Amino acid sequence: MTFSKLTAFRKLTGILFCGTMLAFAMPASAETALNIYISSQHQPDVWRKALDKYEAANPDVKVKIETGGNTSEAQAQYLNTVMSAKDTSLDVLILDVIRPAQFAAAGWTSDFAGKDMSSYLPAYAGANTVDGKVIALPAFADSQFLYYRKDLLEKYGIAPPKTWDELKVAAKKIAESEGNANLQGLSFQGKAIEGAVCTFLLPYWSQGKVLTDNGRLTFDRDAAIKSLGLWKSFADEGISKKNIAEVGTDDTRKEFQAGNVIFAVNWSYAWAQAQGKESAVAGKVGVARLPAMTGGEQATCLGGWEWGVSAYSEHQDEAKKLVEYLSSQDVSKFMAINGSLLPTYAGLYQDAEVTKSAPWFADALQVVETAKPRPVTPRYNEVSEVIRTTVNAVLAGVTTPEDGADQIEARLKRVLR
Amino acid sequence: MATTTTFKATDAQEAQPANWTRWLDLSDRSLAVLLLFPAAVLLALIIVYPVCRLVYTSFFNLSLTSGLPAEFAGLDNYRLMIGDPVFWETTWNTVLITLITVPGALLVGLGLALMANLSFAMQWPVRLSLLIPWALPLSFAGLIFAWFFHSEYGVVNDVLNRLGFEGIIWFNSPNWAFAAICLTIIWKTSSFMALIILAGLQTIPRSLYEAADVDGAGRLRQFFEITLPLLKPSIVVALIFRTITALQTFDIPYMMTGGGPGTSTSTLAMYIHQNTVSFLDLGYGSALAVVMFALSMCVTAVYLRMIRTKE
Repeated sequence: MTFSKLTAFRKLTGILFCGTMLAFAMPASAETALNIYISSQHQPDVWRKALDKYEAANPDVKVKIETGGNTSEAQAQYLNTVMSAKDTSLDVLILDVIRPAQFAAAGWTSDFAGKDMSSYLPAYAGANTVDGKVIALPAFADSQFLYYRKDLLEKYGIAPPKTWDELKVAAKKIAESEGNANLQGLSFQGKAIEGAVCTFLLPYWSQGKVLTDNGRLTFDRDAAIKSLGLWKSFADEGISKKNIAEVGTDDTRKEFQAGNVIFAVNWSYAWAQAQGKESAVAGKVGVARLPAMTGGEQATCLGGWEWGVSAYSEHQDEAKKLVEYLSSQDVSKFMAINGSLLPTYAGLYQDAEVTKSAPWFADALQVVETAKPRPVTPRYNEVSEVIRTTVNAVLAGVTTPEDGADQIEARLKRVLR
Repeated sequence: MATTTTFKATDAQEAQPANWTRWLDLSDRSLAVLLLFPAAVLLALIIVYPVCRLVYTSFFNLSLTSGLPAEFAGLDNYRLMIGDPVFWETTWNTVLITLITVPGALLVGLGLALMANLSFAMQWPVRLSLLIPWALPLSFAGLIFAWFFHSEYGVVNDVLNRLGFEGIIWFNSPNWAFAAICLTIIWKTSSFMALIILAGLQTIPRSLYEAADVDGAGRLRQFFEITLPLLKPSIVVALIFRTITALQTFDIPYMMTGGGPGTSTSTLAMYIHQNTVSFLDLGYGSALAVVMFALSMCVTAVYLRMIRTKE
């Protein structure tokens, strides 16, 4: 190559190189790509439809869904890893209602300064506000309900039980009369998962006791023993399966849907699937408030999920705008109709279109409004682990309810000191 | 003239390296140190630094859930550990898993290696199948066996039922859950033992056995007097690897039981993971990891001593 040819070659390469870089850079500056993390159990395909609408209205934004983790613990572990690495790849995160306090303490989400939360149900306005800062915006509400076989209860003239003792009697009567070895009386979560924390708290709360007051432990040993003893008695008396310590949330849903369960403790998501094409019990399902301990009050566990903006996102404004949209009344209504997700706006529970697709929503508002939050603490993961492993150990017969209550108390004292 | 020139050139060529070393004033010993320097730096960066950092972190009260900055806590994390029943339980479980699965995998591995070493026509499928458990990812093996031992849908209970026994709810009982985990670990790790032992077996000369035949020694005697003594170095190497991985057992119990029922099948590695990843308590997690590191070092030291006294 002669000198002039070499120079020309260099120039040409330079131009080509710059051109290529520009070609890559152009679309990036023209539109914002947002990554949103949705857990796989929360119907990402339905959220996709809501996001498609957003993209149509905002042509300069493209939203990509990242899914993963089908339990609350799996999601938490994934997000803990991503966030402690200060990873910028996620912009918007779906968070379990128990996490805002932890995320606020770690500084992992950007707060929504000046956001008015009064349009949401008070429980969710509260759950997302930590030390006066709005940490995240509600995605949807949830709580645990008693699912039951309407057809079987009607057949034997039994009303939905108001106490766990009534439930025992009803389950025994139906199971004996049906004579079906595969039919179990009650399915609930005994596996060491987040749901088992609620399993423990339901009868505990029902006795008028609370676990924490302003972050301090207010443990009632007798109430805890009764709570653990109640669940163990379901297994011992053959109302629940012997392997109840292996049963997770979705196992309960599947068994109920297959027609093998009379009563089931589950979250609202199970409704849509129980009415689906693959369900053996479509049209035969009733939903009611969870029973109380005899002499106690009916109580349920507050659930729900929230949208947070990652503190490490490089598109703060766009991400917050997207979250405002996802948490809006319109999207809430869309998700209630298409995904049977409970709204965080009180008015939507009476909305004709919503109650047409999920008639029981009309009665659900009262349940959601009275549902109790799990302890609010940045160290919630530890609180959860203590309770769920103990519930699991008691149901497996490894620990007695008395020892279980002592273990919970001793270990929670260390966490919530 | 010509000879002189040649002499000078040769002299210069030979003298050059000598001058160079003289210039640096290097003995053989310091040259060796110099040449090892890059490797030492690399080692320091990837091994010494993280270990020092781990020990350093273990002296701090560093938890992402109780706010930063971290406070110096001295030996607080270690003091906490002594009074922590879960630490003792998970450590005991880890030791127990090591005591059961290491000899278990050694026996099964030895058997497999002897089988693979038999001379017959279709040798390669046997040797290939030896590799399969070894090549499978640990968590995948855990997932498969979790299904095998499932009380309702599992193949193990199905076989038990067909044989007329009642199925066992494996993961409902600490002992059965522990047994299921140990069986899985032995299945997963014995092929690795077998591979190392097989390599050792192939270095034993055939002539030794032929001589033993002539002397009238039986098969069993040949095994104990020839095979086993000559296999000792391979067995010790296999044991070192297996013991250290056994002390770090995580994936299989994590996938099979998640440490349950309760915390009865949780291992030390799982407890470290839980404290750091779930609870974000990096100080306590580091202290636990230091203990595990010390445990591994002690065991390795014992094995290395075993080899040295042999020589």
